[in-house]
Amino acid sequence: MAGTVIGAGLTIEGDISGEEEIVINGILRGRLTTTDAVTVGGSAVVGADITGASLSVAGQVTGDVTATERVDIQAGGKLVGDIKAARFTIADGASFKGNVDMEV
Amino acid sequence: MAETSVIGAGTVVSGHIRGEGSLEILGRVEGDISVTGSVAIGPAGRVRGNVSASQLTVAGQVQGDLHGSLAVLLEPGARVAGDISAPRVGIAPGALARGHVQTDAEPAALARPAAQPFVRPAPQPVARPAQQPAVRPQQPAVRPDPQPAARPAVPQPAARPAAPLRANVPPPKAEPIPPAPLASPPAPKAPPPRPELRSDLRKADAPKLAPAPATSGPGSGEFAPVRPLKPEPRRPPPPVVPVIRKGTKAKKKKSHD
Amino acid sequence: MPRHSQEISVVGASTRVTGRVSGTGALRIEGTVKGDINVNGDAEIAEGGSVEGNLSGEALDIGGSLLGDARASGTIAVRSGAKVRGELRGAEVSIEAGARVSVRLDTEFELDFGPTQRRR
Repeated sequence: MAGTVIGAGLTIEGDISGEEEIVINGILRGRLTTTDAVTVGGSAVVGADITGASLSVAGQVTGDVTATERVDIQAGGKLVGDIKAARFTIADGASFKGNVDMEV
Repeated sequence: MAETSVIGAGTVVSGHIRGEGSLEILGRVEGDISVTGSVAIGPAGRVRGNVSASQLTVAGQVQGDLHGSLAVLLEPGARVAGDISAPRVGIAPGALARGHVQTDAEPAALARPAAQPFVRPAPQPVARPAQQPAVRPQQPAVRPDPQPAARPAVPQPAARPAAPLRANVPPPKAEPIPPAPLASPPAPKAPPPRPELRSDLRKADAPKLAPAPATSGPGSGEFAPVRPLKPEPRRPPPPVVPVIRKGTKAKKKKSHD
Repeated sequence: MPRHSQEISVVGASTRVTGRVSGTGALRIEGTVKGDINVNGDAEIAEGGSVEGNLSGEALDIGGSLLGDARASGTIAVRSGAKVRGELRGAEVSIEAGARVSVRLDTEFELDFGPTQRRR
């Protein structure tokens, strides 16, 4: 299980940084940085730049995302911002608007 | 051994109380209390004044400040309106307190080996006012824990040659040293932490009884009896001049012991 | 600690949150939060966790470090390994011996000194 879990009812206005997995199902406005995986759940609304080892988006993210490994936008997920990752996938039914830089 | 005074349930004391020894308050005191021993306020006890003691256990009500050089414990049902300060403070669920509560940074410097003739255990001062010293002369502070059941009194005399010296040391002194939560204070609440601590000490000192933290903390009976008890057994740094053994005459430059 | 109907959010041990945390649900803090926390649920500062800011919730369980005020609609429990500085206000506040505290308790209650007393 993830080290940090921000539940669906929670709102954080500020920065989150850590060295473990982070799962967000709630609301974040600020910045998110970790050395591990980031999961943005279906109910999440994130207005933040995200940096992590990997990122999976099933909810809404507005901000630039940087991953050392990969970024995956799931069906139903939405990302508005630039992606910087070695590899990425945008599922059928996902929504994305931004630039992609695969040179990491 | 200091005596324990009792203010009976139907008694009202108007005026200050001070001195050596311990105090059990089952009635009412209107005035300040300052004793070197412990103070136990029974459930019906009422104190309107400041209380200063080594170990304070409150099951009744106090309007005034509480200061313990060792600990202040509020048992369920206690009500205190005033400031509380002690190295260890316990407020049980069901106790009510209003005021500033302060624990010292470190429960160090509880060094009053000779001045503490008798410190009674926190948990049940009401039940056994002066029983312990008679029953267990070597164990000044007996904690009526579950643990003593396992070691009723068997190894006491044999295993603790230095025990009588320790009788003057307030037993709870050793308690703050181990980082684990202390056994005696949370007696009314949670027995679990206690066994852990006690068993730690017991493992370290096999013959020791559970209710003898004073001696168990610093050493394990390997003290030379002449050494005064201190929380940390420390030897003075060896003098530059070699120690002159006892009996050597003349040329006595410095003799340390 | 949390009720079943409450989802638990967790700030992991190596996570630092700088900012305000609010919302519904229970919250356990194993890492560090610098900012105010206001949840409509139980909040716990685990041993090793640290909050610098005000903490407000239903029942509060403080096992780590709190520098700030704590308000609970229910009980506040300060565990023996905790370190707390601030004001604690709850229906009931308990402190385990061993905790290091410099706190002001604001519990509401009346003393009952009996019929013969002259109330101050």
